[in-house]
Amino acid sequence: MAAPNPAPILDDTLSFDAQGKYQRRVTYITTPEGVRLPFITATFAERLGAFILDYLIIIAAPVALILLFFILPFEQVDWKRAKGLGDILMILFFMAMFFVRTGYFMAFEMGPRAATPGKRVLKIRVIAHDGGHLTPVMVITRNMLREVEFYLPLTLMGMTMQGGGWVALSAFLWTLVLALLPLFNRDQARLGDFLGGTRVVHMPRQSLGIDLADTEADRRSGIIFTRAQIEAYGEKELGVLEEVLRERRPATMAAVATRIKTRIGWDDPKNTNDVPTDEAFLRAFYAALRAHLESRMLLGKRRKDKHDDVR
Amino acid sequence: MSDEEPAKPALQLKSQKFRDTREKDWRTLSRALDRLDQGKLNSFSTDELLNLPVLYRSAVSSLSMARSISLDRNLIGYLQGLCARAYMGIYGPHARFKDILTGYFGRQWPESVRRIGPEFLLSLACLVIGIVAGWLLCAGDQSWYSALVGEDMSGGRNLSASAADLKKTLEGSTDGLAVFSVFLMSHNTQVSIFAFALGVIAGIPTALLILHNGMLLGAMLWLFARQGLLVDFAGWLSIHGTTELLAIVLAGAAGFHMARRIMFPGNLTRKAALVDAGKLTGSVMLGVAIMLLLAGLLEGFGRQLITDTSARFGIGAVMLVTWIVYFTQVGRRLTLKFEEADHGRP
Repeated sequence: MAAPNPAPILDDTLSFDAQGKYQRRVTYITTPEGVRLPFITATFAERLGAFILDYLIIIAAPVALILLFFILPFEQVDWKRAKGLGDILMILFFMAMFFVRTGYFMAFEMGPRAATPGKRVLKIRVIAHDGGHLTPVMVITRNMLREVEFYLPLTLMGMTMQGGGWVALSAFLWTLVLALLPLFNRDQARLGDFLGGTRVVHMPRQSLGIDLADTEADRRSGIIFTRAQIEAYGEKELGVLEEVLRERRPATMAAVATRIKTRIGWDDPKNTNDVPTDEAFLRAFYAALRAHLESRMLLGKRRKDKHDDVR
Repeated sequence: MSDEEPAKPALQLKSQKFRDTREKDWRTLSRALDRLDQGKLNSFSTDELLNLPVLYRSAVSSLSMARSISLDRNLIGYLQGLCARAYMGIYGPHARFKDILTGYFGRQWPESVRRIGPEFLLSLACLVIGIVAGWLLCAGDQSWYSALVGEDMSGGRNLSASAADLKKTLEGSTDGLAVFSVFLMSHNTQVSIFAFALGVIAGIPTALLILHNGMLLGAMLWLFARQGLLVDFAGWLSIHGTTELLAIVLAGAAGFHMARRIMFPGNLTRKAALVDAGKLTGSVMLGVAIMLLLAGLLEGFGRQLITDTSARFGIGAVMLVTWIVYFTQVGRRLTLKFEEADHGRP
């Protein structure tokens, strides 16, 4: 299983079309078998979204508990007599608060899905950067640092607003840099990720579609392109074309077909019955372009896009 | 791809042939992973289980193959997702309880505490200096006491309290003791986590936090000593305090260790030093949380039920000795092996 070197243009990014995004950053994890497995790095926005969702849950939990207290028929209880019950309720409340404030992230990330509910909604999860198991210690470290990354800036911001002076302000700015660390590094990792040796990755569910290049059908349709016509485009355009063909929106396909025809100087046959549909034309062109680019790729010549000089 | 004519034309792309031959395996793997996700591990037969790593490896090799011969983005995306899922299924976070018990308590925890020895001394020094300073400040000027010990912390233990009042606070009372212990445990854990996490900022806030806690303690010691209740107070404190203070000092030490490794990464790159320090201090902190839980129980139940000062001292001393022996002795032999294995690595 000799892993071929990833081609240079795909090294840091992965062509990806599930959400119509062209390329996304990749975090490489070397698995214990020695394979470099690419994972899609979760963006700062995704992580922030997951955090906000989780935080809403954290805020809602005490409110829900108190509401529950009023909904349940506790007014029947004679508190002077049932002292033990009151104690137990208080203990449960404190335990729940403690869990929510300190243990929420840790407990969920130690679970089998390695993700909090918010992360699961955004399809992101935590992995170990060294390629091994995600251990409880890693999860603990990465989450304990939330204290300096989130709660401390928040506290200092409050102090600054209440007239804490320049000391509070400068401390706030300092911690703000720590909090915004994911914006300044390639892996978009926060401080807790660095210390815990973890990364957060995006794991979308993607189904395997049909292979669009149907060479047999193309041969029957009799659409043939010259080499010069095919060479007008590169890999990026092929990807866009694939996306258009998978979406199958007639208006888009018509527009794209027209643009391609203009660019490659394509003449439709005189007989209107022989004019292929937009989809048939695009699929034929896709198959021809892919066949050409893939055969060049085998020779180590990859053409990034239409402006690339590699032929 | 299912409704193909039997006679496949010779005109087929390499990437298509590749997909045709391997697609069945990918689908099998995907279905197996779906079952894993639903938590149906027990429904796998032995053959299926043994086949899983094989399928996983073949999917990974398919991915690297696809990336070098295919330009079908949907295919590459699918394979990437499949491999990632399979990797998670196989190397996901499944900590087994027994492994944690022997691995963590038998080796990892005492070992990591030993490795932050110098920082532990520094943290301890901060606490001791804090205690002495708190005492001396209050002895020099009484008004320091109310400045150090806020009204909400003092709980009636203020300057105007008489010896009898103070003595009363030291007695056990069963009123709401469990509630109190849970509250204290969560509060102390938060303080410890904070002391640890603040280590990231060069460790100075950690030192201040430990000093402050020491001063608080020193001030209270002074207050009780003034009324001739020093021994009683020390007993009241020691039953849980030996565990609790040790935990807080350890948390501070973990913070200092992190600060040191960030500022002086040594031979490693800063990133590698961070990961290393994170692992070490994380192990310490998990133990700190456990110690604080124990201290909370001792404080909530033990202290309220046992009111005899010498018995309180006894329990506190036993706890302290237990911790010292545990941290210095447990996991020694295994540690040696562990280090050898570490050095053997290229």
